[in-house]
Amino acid sequence: MTATGNDQERDRSAPPLTPRRARRAVASVVSVIGELLITAGLILGLFVAYSLWWTNVLADRAAHQQGDQVRKHWASSGPKGPGELDTKDGIGFLHVPAMDNGDVLVKKGTDAEVLNEGVAGYYTKPVKSGLPKDKKGNFTLAAHRDGHGAKFHNIDKVKDGDPIVFETKDTWYVYKVFATLPETSKYNVDVLDEVPKEAGKHKAGRYITLTTCTPVYTSNYRYIVWGELVRTEKVDADRTPPKELR
Amino acid sequence: MYGWIWRHLPGNTWVKALISLVLALAVVFVLFQYVFPWAEPLLPFNDVTVDQGMAAVR
Repeated sequence: MTATGNDQERDRSAPPLTPRRARRAVASVVSVIGELLITAGLILGLFVAYSLWWTNVLADRAAHQQGDQVRKHWASSGPKGPGELDTKDGIGFLHVPAMDNGDVLVKKGTDAEVLNEGVAGYYTKPVKSGLPKDKKGNFTLAAHRDGHGAKFHNIDKVKDGDPIVFETKDTWYVYKVFATLPETSKYNVDVLDEVPKEAGKHKAGRYITLTTCTPVYTSNYRYIVWGELVRTEKVDADRTPPKELR
Repeated sequence: MYGWIWRHLPGNTWVKALISLVLALAVVFVLFQYVFPWAEPLLPFNDVTVDQGMAAVR
């Protein structure tokens, strides 16, 4: 063990573990561990790039394609009876000027496969969403805060009184925000109630509810924005947007 | 580890560098195409909906 003398070291050539070789073995183990740690760091960095950049690229591409399809479908199908709703491709577009994110296609369902395509989804569970055309109800939507299009990224910019406009084939539904809840439990399904009591409402009406995760880049809590229908406007031949969007 | 791979790549330095680059890109492709999409739903970064979740069990 303490054999550091040159003579002794030379004599013991038979056993494979001389101090120098032992040192080299330790060094190579340490360097492999070091390389693995560097690799892990690189993979985590790539995962961040994937979540915050690449999923947006994919989602925006998918959303544009589907949005174009819906608009083309609207243009080609001509005026038909009211109440006709194409739920498969998407039922319309959400415009929230305060979020500054253009028009967001709205589709049925809030499963990851739906939302990951850069759209907003209306709830089918745990509480079934009402639809804008219903006489009474709560139109409840969810979309991603980060990645996958990040359609509700700027939800914290939406203040009371801001307009939310939902565009369907033949009607503009103009809502006005009357309450926000910056942080609530992810199990708080009451926010989706037909009459959102948490927002201070007690009478049935035509409401809209936006939900997404908060704080940004995580999903510990949920951010909620409520609006109430102010008026509807018929879509004209040029699809002139209501004054809130001009 | 990377030294071992480098020593076992064929060809001169330029060929080795080229093969390394191709291998690195292949790894990135596999990560972006298969590994990350698999891992993402398992991580708690991007759930945006409210639901009963564990509350139903409680």
